[in-house]
Amino acid sequence: MNRFGLILAILFAAMATTAGCGSARRDEPSAGPLAIQDPQIALGQRVYMTSCHQCHPSGMAGLGPAINNKPLPGFMIKMQTRAGLGAMPGFSSSELSHEELDAIVAYLKALRKHG
Amino acid sequence: MFLKRMWLFLKRKRWWVVALCFAVTFVGLAIFLASFSMRSSDGGGRTEFMLPRLVNPDGVALPEGYRIEALAEGLTFPSGVTFDDQGRVYVIEAGYSYGEKWTTPRLLRIEGDGSTTVIATGDNPPWNGVDFADGAFFVAEGGQKSGGRIIRIDMDGKITPLVEGLPSLGDHHTNGPVIGTDGKLYFGQGTATNSGVVGTDNAKFGWLKRHPHFHDVPGQDVTLTGENFTTDNPLTDDSDVKAETGAFLPFGTPSTSGQVISGKVPCNGAIMRVPIAGGDIELVAWGLRNPFGLAFSPDGQLYVMNNSYDVRGSRPVFGSGDLLWKIEEGKWYGWPDFHGHRALADDDQYKAPGKPQPRFLLANHPGTPPKPAAVLGVHASAVGMDFSRIESFGHVGEVFIAQFGDMAPDAGKVLAPVGFNVVRVNVETGVVEVFAVNNGKKFGPASKVGGGGLERPLDAKFNPDGSALYIVDFGVMTIGDKPEPREKTGVIWRITRERRTEAAR
Repeated sequence: MNRFGLILAILFAAMATTAGCGSARRDEPSAGPLAIQDPQIALGQRVYMTSCHQCHPSGMAGLGPAINNKPLPGFMIKMQTRAGLGAMPGFSSSELSHEELDAIVAYLKALRKHG
Repeated sequence: MFLKRMWLFLKRKRWWVVALCFAVTFVGLAIFLASFSMRSSDGGGRTEFMLPRLVNPDGVALPEGYRIEALAEGLTFPSGVTFDDQGRVYVIEAGYSYGEKWTTPRLLRIEGDGSTTVIATGDNPPWNGVDFADGAFFVAEGGQKSGGRIIRIDMDGKITPLVEGLPSLGDHHTNGPVIGTDGKLYFGQGTATNSGVVGTDNAKFGWLKRHPHFHDVPGQDVTLTGENFTTDNPLTDDSDVKAETGAFLPFGTPSTSGQVISGKVPCNGAIMRVPIAGGDIELVAWGLRNPFGLAFSPDGQLYVMNNSYDVRGSRPVFGSGDLLWKIEEGKWYGWPDFHGHRALADDDQYKAPGKPQPRFLLANHPGTPPKPAAVLGVHASAVGMDFSRIESFGHVGEVFIAQFGDMAPDAGKVLAPVGFNVVRVNVETGVVEVFAVNNGKKFGPASKVGGGGLERPLDAKFNPDGSALYIVDFGVMTIGDKPEPREKTGVIWRITRERRTEAAR
């Protein structure tokens, strides 16, 4: 591997290991209201509340880790959600449709940018 | 420049380097995300605390346009708030706390200068909730010593029982009450156990040795699968002696397949009602677990805030958030075999790491539970609540819910504090938004994060004209080997709206 490839690999590893950094406070008192105009994000918020909020309350850590401050691309969020990992259960397409999962990703990305 | 170089590099199709980068990323994230078992619990009660409690409204963050002030401080285990015909503020002190701390239950009037006047005292705690109607107070008396009651307290302090002998000797008690427009008093009765089976966790709660024959009673007849659980026996000093226990039965009594347990009223895990003038108890709904908060919406619909399962005891249940229910009369809400509309036995979500998957205790289920109105945080302990009714406060039709906060690790491990705030919930969409929470980057009770703000909110109620939201803050409860509640740390907060913003229309 040349030097540039090594730098790239280290960058990705750093992204993974520093994934827990940065405050996850995105709630209205801390960051102001999250204005939602996009119907997909609105759907994502409602589905998030039913399926994800109990372990990741308002995207913050609780039973599970915080997920509103992680630099994860959408495909990895979907992979994690479908497969589950560790203590997190997987959600099949009968529990979360493809449309609903896409909407959750859109909502998380909006939440990540908020505040 | 760096990004251009990265693009040129990838274009040369060094696919194996790209694959290596993603593999490293995935492994790193997998280690991080799969580390629930490796990480220690970090609940809100895991902190050191020394009296006195610092109280500072600036420690609480609210949405723009709202203001908070502390009305009264130094209370001991306050658990409910109400208002008389003149709008004066009254608070009950529970007289008992988890951690087996016994004081005296009291009804107090909060005076304008923050001092208190004692209206009545009791001797069968905890006093869990209060409402006012017909010129008198109605209190849910949890009755850890001698059974639950609903009591009427007149303005001169005279106490008259309305209902007695409620099955309230276990983990969860008589809750509510709230008086409906039909002139009837609605109350909740919690379950004796976590998930249907008396076990060693109930000895840790303290009541099993006091009441060794106590167990859950269903609202209607149920047929058992015959699942039994073998545990140590804390009722004997011989550590070699084990006990085998079945569902809805006393500790040490096994069940058999097909065994029928008779239902009766009053029962556990239910909403019941009684005329405020006295009379027969009616079953409204059952199959709940700890229906602590009861409130009627502006359109007259009864909602209940139900605390869900813990990861403890003979049948631990993982990953079950507290549920807000819209109550339909006669409905069964799933305890001990469902969480919402999901069956515990069919979903690996409910299997705790290192523990067995919960199996059905009931051979036949009395219907299919509906979907809840909202799902709140696992171990949040969502409790007392009330609906906003007027435009000037904002969020009309949304319910404001106090969240007492986790009791980790006793109730189950958490990676960070859960609860310790007040949320507002849209009951049509299920969207939960934080409303009052402590300031700062770190989240948790003030005893853990500093600032002098909220500790453990236990009740939220609007005053009669709807212009102010009163928050009953139980006070400091740290969690060591057992819950460690602190006397004289309770606070009554009041939230008002100073100015309107677009967000709160």
